[in-house]
Amino acid sequence: MASTFARRRRAVHAGIGAAQIELAGVTKRFVTPAGSMFTALRDVDLVIDPGRFCAVVGPTGCGKSTTLTMVAGLDRPSAGEVSVGGRAVDGITPGTSFMFQVDALLPWKTVLGNVALGPVFGGAAKKEAQAQARDWVRRVGLAGFEDHHPHQLSGGMRKRVSLAAALINEPSILLMDEPFGALDVQTKAIMSNELLGLWEQARPSVIFVTHDLEEAIALADQVVVMTAGPGTVKAVYDIDLPRPRGAVQEIRFEPRFLELHHQIWASLREEVEAAYTRTAQGGRS
Amino acid sequence: MTETTGSALISPHTETQAAAPDVRHAKRRRSRHKVLVWAARLATLVVVIGGWQLLTSAKVVDKFFWGQPSGIVAQLDDWVRHGTAYGSIWLQIWTTFKEAVLGFVFGVAAGVIVGVLLGQFRFLAEVLSPYIKIANAIPRIVLGSLFTVALGLGISAKVSLAAVLVFFVVFFNAFQGVREVDRNLLNNARVLGASRGAITRHVVLPSALTWIIASLHVAFGLAIIGAIVGEFLGAQRGLGLVIATSQNNFNPDGVFAAMFIIAILALTAEGLIGLLERRLLSWRPPSPAEAAEAAAA
Repeated sequence: MASTFARRRRAVHAGIGAAQIELAGVTKRFVTPAGSMFTALRDVDLVIDPGRFCAVVGPTGCGKSTTLTMVAGLDRPSAGEVSVGGRAVDGITPGTSFMFQVDALLPWKTVLGNVALGPVFGGAAKKEAQAQARDWVRRVGLAGFEDHHPHQLSGGMRKRVSLAAALINEPSILLMDEPFGALDVQTKAIMSNELLGLWEQARPSVIFVTHDLEEAIALADQVVVMTAGPGTVKAVYDIDLPRPRGAVQEIRFEPRFLELHHQIWASLREEVEAAYTRTAQGGRS
Repeated sequence: MTETTGSALISPHTETQAAAPDVRHAKRRRSRHKVLVWAARLATLVVVIGGWQLLTSAKVVDKFFWGQPSGIVAQLDDWVRHGTAYGSIWLQIWTTFKEAVLGFVFGVAAGVIVGVLLGQFRFLAEVLSPYIKIANAIPRIVLGSLFTVALGLGISAKVSLAAVLVFFVVFFNAFQGVREVDRNLLNNARVLGASRGAITRHVVLPSALTWIIASLHVAFGLAIIGAIVGEFLGAQRGLGLVIATSQNNFNPDGVFAAMFIIAILALTAEGLIGLLERRLLSWRPPSPAEAAEAAAA
């Protein structure tokens, strides 16, 4: 059992290789319940180099989350192609972990059980999975809480569990959909620091969707601004702040950070305003 | 415990001590409330049973039709000492209980399996849904006649009827439970590489379990009804047969006595299901109602 798991793990890594993420001409349309066509994404071209941390910002409803589900293979594009590691995505993309805005922890499993899910689903023996999970629970600072159930934890602690559960499979791609959106400002800052620390150890390619431009700049190598719906890539900014970044609370006051923030916000603001006007007029964004 | 109320010298230390009498006071009030509730319960019982006894003794109500509490007690006593026309009362209880439990087990198993299957395979659910609706609209208790003719006077006809009654309740809950599974949980499991079987085992079933267990309380009541009605329709032993015989002999006390025994059976089963529920769903946070109950206890 354990050796099958290890073999599978190696195969996944070899298959994905460097795990470059590429979207070429991706369009996604949905049929609304009313029967009309709704275009969420139009002609998205985007390349994320292996090991890069890419943040995606844009107004509400611009298809940021849809992009993530297509990279994960949970959804298909209506036109265009998504490929990971040079291979077109068809079916669930192997070597991926997804962190949702609402935490996707199983309420009937303990912290340890939830973190162990990745290896268990991968076919690891229970003992091995638990040993790995114990290690990851410790790494996210939750030692001693292994036997707690999710409802007994605070929002920040649940995020740590989600983070451990996402990283335990050593993904080559980490997809995050506003993972810290529901947290208070202090907890969010702590979690961001922790995410950076863990990411710098393993360096998976990351797509991090957020509303918060400061968060995006503090964390990412590359910030993608999307237009108001139908979403498409408006501009891509390279964030040349040196790594390791250190505390996200402090980097915000660096002159280069402010300069980048100023520049990107100018671009993002137009889209946010466009989206706002549209919603205010009652149109679908 | 120092008495500090009214003292001008309240330090933080004495303040914590002063809180203790408050706690004791709250505890005393709570236990007084409990005694009151029990007293009122007892009074209700005395009024209902006593009133019944008095009204029948005073011949306001005819005990020939409506029975009498003292007659019911005498009937139970007689059954325990001398047995029924079909053997000892314990044999009758055991027979009905066995039929209900077997029907319950088969009905629950079938309901869960079919519910989970249809919940996961949309196409199958779409194809079968009108037939299931029709089957649910049929008064299934009538199937008892069919089972009695086809399967005879033995236990299998009663078990089948009980199982059919149980099946639909559990099936609908299991089906709904599977469909209500959080999409985020499913997607997360899929991205982590879970196979279809693993998703069913780790995500779908535990999630549907809340729904399934809620249906078990109703289901056991239905299993007992199935067993009793099956015995009405034709049997060689069982509490349903005892009731039917009492009815034919114009013996209302016998009907009530059997009813009383069945109620005890049902309450026992209910208690066991409650225990199971608490064990299987121990991961759940206490619901507001449960929390209030715990506070009142």
